[in-house]
Amino acid sequence: MEINYIGEHLWAGQLGQISIIIAFVSALVAAVGYAFATKNDAAFNDWKLLSRSAFSLHILAVFSIIGSLLYMLYNGMFEYHYVWQHSNSEMPMRYILSSFWEGQEGSFLLWLFWHAVLGAILLKTSKSWEAPVMAVFAMVQMFLVSMVLGINLGDVIRIGSTPFLLLRDHPDFMNLPFLQNANYLDNLDGRGLNPLLQNYWMTIHPPTLFLGFASTLVPFAFAIAGLWTKKYTEWMKPALPWTFFGVMILGTGILMGGAWAYEALSFGGFWAWDPVENSSLVPWITMVGAAHVMVIQKNRGQSLIMTFVLTTATFILILYSTFLTRSGILGDTSVHAFTDLGMSGQLLVYLLAFLFLAIILLIARWKEIPKSKDEDSLYSREFWMFIGALVLVISSFQIMFTTSIPVWNKLLGTNLAPPLDPIAHYNSFQIPLAIMLSILIAVTQYFKYSKTDPKQFSRALVLPLAVSVVLTAVIGYLMHYTNVMYIVMLFTTLFLITANLNYWVSVLKGKMKIAGASVAHIGFGMILLGAFLSTSKTQVISMNTSGTDVESLGEKGDFSNRENILMMKGDTLRMADYFVTYVGKKKEGVNVFYQVDYLTKTGNDYTLDFSLYPRVQTNPRMGNVAEPDTKHFLYKDIYSFVTYAEVETEETKEKPEEYKNTSTKQMAQGDTLFAGQAFVIFNGFNLDVDRAKYELQEGDIAVAADLTAVDISGKRTALTPIYVIRDRMAIPIPAEMEELGLRLVLNKVIPEEGKAEIALYEKPDSYREFIVMKAMIFPWINILWAGCLVMIIGTILAMRRRLKA
Amino acid sequence: MKKTHILAIIVIAIAIGAILSTVADSSTYASFSEAIENPGKEYHVVGKLDKEAEMTYDPEVDANLFAFRMIDNNGDAQTVHFAGSKPQDFERSEQIVLIGKYENDAFQASKILMKCPSKYNEGQPGEMQEFTAESATS
Repeated sequence: MEINYIGEHLWAGQLGQISIIIAFVSALVAAVGYAFATKNDAAFNDWKLLSRSAFSLHILAVFSIIGSLLYMLYNGMFEYHYVWQHSNSEMPMRYILSSFWEGQEGSFLLWLFWHAVLGAILLKTSKSWEAPVMAVFAMVQMFLVSMVLGINLGDVIRIGSTPFLLLRDHPDFMNLPFLQNANYLDNLDGRGLNPLLQNYWMTIHPPTLFLGFASTLVPFAFAIAGLWTKKYTEWMKPALPWTFFGVMILGTGILMGGAWAYEALSFGGFWAWDPVENSSLVPWITMVGAAHVMVIQKNRGQSLIMTFVLTTATFILILYSTFLTRSGILGDTSVHAFTDLGMSGQLLVYLLAFLFLAIILLIARWKEIPKSKDEDSLYSREFWMFIGALVLVISSFQIMFTTSIPVWNKLLGTNLAPPLDPIAHYNSFQIPLAIMLSILIAVTQYFKYSKTDPKQFSRALVLPLAVSVVLTAVIGYLMHYTNVMYIVMLFTTLFLITANLNYWVSVLKGKMKIAGASVAHIGFGMILLGAFLSTSKTQVISMNTSGTDVESLGEKGDFSNRENILMMKGDTLRMADYFVTYVGKKKEGVNVFYQVDYLTKTGNDYTLDFSLYPRVQTNPRMGNVAEPDTKHFLYKDIYSFVTYAEVETEETKEKPEEYKNTSTKQMAQGDTLFAGQAFVIFNGFNLDVDRAKYELQEGDIAVAADLTAVDISGKRTALTPIYVIRDRMAIPIPAEMEELGLRLVLNKVIPEEGKAEIALYEKPDSYREFIVMKAMIFPWINILWAGCLVMIIGTILAMRRRLKA
Repeated sequence: MKKTHILAIIVIAIAIGAILSTVADSSTYASFSEAIENPGKEYHVVGKLDKEAEMTYDPEVDANLFAFRMIDNNGDAQTVHFAGSKPQDFERSEQIVLIGKYENDAFQASKILMKCPSKYNEGQPGEMQEFTAESATS
């Protein structure tokens, strides 16, 4: 039975889907056409014109795909699965971009978008390189568009997953009863953007990262073009500024990811060696290597093979990273990989196609690629730069090899699990490599190309060496470094920074234009230094300060040094130099904020230093998420997040609880009795009892105990339990204090000693609000963030210089 | 011998070192029975939360002890102690990976990876979440 659905906007999806097909076909035509045009005969000029139009059409089609999807999101067309899945009618419009690229299809579109933009720029600027470079571009675009094609070949093979699929055509929904209703759209709202991703990071991080991914394609396309047209060295001139651009953007994207993790996610740091983080870091490292060997090649004509290998490897590693994070292969090992959309086969074909293209071209041209015959001198800059590039290669190899454990398991049928302590595992290699790299970066620029006078060289290094030795001694002493490896690491990063600073000031005379390398290196050194100081001296301050004796549980193991602290509402606990109070919580929208006051004590007075509001984002559908709050100081960050808490803010109804006898004491005048939240002073007996109030009968003998309860805040309350003797029977009438849950009973009067036996009854806490929290200090982490900025500036300077050349 | 050859040998040596250290540092996926046979040795154990059994997390007694029972892929159930706070939504987990060792009559987990019925995409297989109990020794 055919249903005529009401209110659907089918044209929008059709426009999008047609644009996808046009984008695919035009990329295919452009790839083939440019491949023919690469032959470079005059007769092939027509091919060039044809492909140019085809690629221009492709660019328009990509924009049209993106426009369609944005339009659908903007107008809340929930008849489309992607719109339904990633947005809803309540979502503020500022998150429209986040919802656009939240899903896999959208993120492929973002990637396509950047390739289209870069392609448009190259169309105008690549001149004689246009045909071969654009051929590679078009081929890459063709593969990428196929990821969102959404075409079924037979029943088994599905090519791509389209964002323009109707909800009622989606396999999970097809047979649901509500879709039998022609009016189903009337009551349909989207599922909404994950609240975890509703922040500005989700708006700025993905586009930056994907621009970084896209920028690796440009040097790759030039390298392939160079091999293809046998212009083995000329391709580097146009490719070099792009390589620096890629280093800058991809680096920024990765660091933004780290900053996001640090600011908004409770991972407890900015870098966790997570497979997803690693797989975007590795191509960045190889791209840095590629940029450096290209500089060597430009100046000295050496290490040409290495430029091809690193440039092509960078792009292929980006594809590999896409494969790792989107094929579901990381499954059990990563915290934030995408789930499998059933496209792993397609991704693998894509990856292998470009891998083999690069390998086959390299092998075919191997003999023709010019190789330098003479060896580099040990006293030459190019030799040590080359060594530096090798260190980068080893570093990326080690990270990739361990990250790929799930892949090895698939390939070899093994059952290896990732290292138990990944951070220690990666550090055991990456710290020594960072040390080597720091020394190389510090000294290499003091070498000249081809040959250097050893004496002059060592003289120039005396000052930075001396300064960094002194700094190491001072910092090492102040921050209590004892581990030899740490001291070496501290020294080499300081040496890196001072040597580059010295080079910039005394050799380059502080000129900005040519300072790119020095400034970028100083930035890199600051990143290393900041990362090293903040992670090696991270101090968990929420340790073992709770009043509860956790060591009594020591039988089962060592429970004394755990990192979570329990804080009852109102209690003040010591944490490092602070006294910390959990004040209470309040709910704002989906967030529950927990106010934690940090106080400092001078004498007997507490003064409020600052308050932190770590929060828990309530999310009944997808699970609650804790987000940290951080107090930034110049020299340290105090970072805290809630690890366990009640999220309900309505006062939970207290059940009437029974009073329990907690202590009984014979008290003389002036004696004190301690209750849980107060202490009680016995001031003496009082025979003047208000007989009417206690409904005493004629002949009753009554005596009152004059007590004062003092609570934590110092408030004093008078309490008078009385003791009545009626017909030789003793009837105690207790005094109660509801607020503190106290009941005091005058059990017995001992006149000969002047003492009263007072029984203390307390209401067990039926509900006392608490949170379990973790707090850490990251010292000097600001050096890292400042270093990021300095490195970005340095890379821009380097890029500008290469563009002018 | 040329310098390039020496360099090549050094690079290959470090690369082999990296491979070996990865293999040496890597753990293995195992069942509870294997972990019990080798107390003190660290394993990854994959399984499901035993939803019948009781979970204990009483932060007022110890904010850093969470105990529960897990059934591994062989169907063996075992008490697990985790020295940290109870992960959010633990009840909803459909798959758990424990990293830790068997000691003192219980599996002492130092890290829990759990998969909930998707945090980000309902109806799709969920994503892994990681919870670490860091001890002072690491």
